[in-house]
Amino acid sequence: MITLVVALVVGASLFGVGLYGALSQTNLVMIMMGIELMLGAAMVNLVAFWRFLHPGAVSAQVFVLIVMTEMALEMAVGFGLATARFRARGSVEMEEATELRG
Amino acid sequence: MTWQLLSVAFFGLLAIWFGVTVFRTSSMVRSALSLLGSMAAVGAMFLAMQAEFLGVLQIMMMATEMTIMAIFMVMYMMDPGGLGQMDMTHQKRVSVAAGVTGALAGILLALLPGWGPIVRSVPGPARQTHDLGIELMNRSMIVFETAGVAILVAMIAATSVAIARRR
Repeated sequence: MITLVVALVVGASLFGVGLYGALSQTNLVMIMMGIELMLGAAMVNLVAFWRFLHPGAVSAQVFVLIVMTEMALEMAVGFGLATARFRARGSVEMEEATELRG
Repeated sequence: MTWQLLSVAFFGLLAIWFGVTVFRTSSMVRSALSLLGSMAAVGAMFLAMQAEFLGVLQIMMMATEMTIMAIFMVMYMMDPGGLGQMDMTHQKRVSVAAGVTGALAGILLALLPGWGPIVRSVPGPARQTHDLGIELMNRSMIVFETAGVAILVAMIAATSVAIARRR
């Protein structure tokens, strides 16, 4: 039980650090790093639940694979946007991205 | 179980420490390498929790992803080495409050419920990998195929967004 709780506490702490990073950074690539940390936290929780509660349920591992895929997709689309933004404005600072402001 | 508890706690602390370092250093390349350290520690946690296939996959995938991230950092940052000590943060108080609240809420959710009986035995690595393969090709085939299509769509979307517009 203690190991499960330790893993969940680690997951929660990583999520908090990632949330801080995603909200506090002004650079697009740094914001993506925060999101990666939050997704990593989700994976820690999924593996902990699988290991300590339902090690026979392989679908939990499929769920982790999907989260890993999602991390790669987020990186690909994020870097595509970063490239477009850098071409258009010469920077990936999100403080300057105010075009969609109402 | 003691070695498992110690390993999970050690690699967990390492993952958190590297995660904090990502946002504390002014060098962007160091940030990418710290994130690699954090993700590798998460992979080591998977190994400690006897999810061998996922652990190895996590370490290999993240090593590649973070190397690419470091390259993009050097390409797009005005000061990738952090020599100018630029501050690239905003709304710090709100962010700290949100981060701490999120972490505390997660910790409370981890501590409060009774999680039920803990299962001691786990299938071996070969059995797990075999079962995962069967699961992917059987019951979770649609999910697996959807992930494949999503990758294709993301590749096309990322390329079309990034490609230079012809006038």
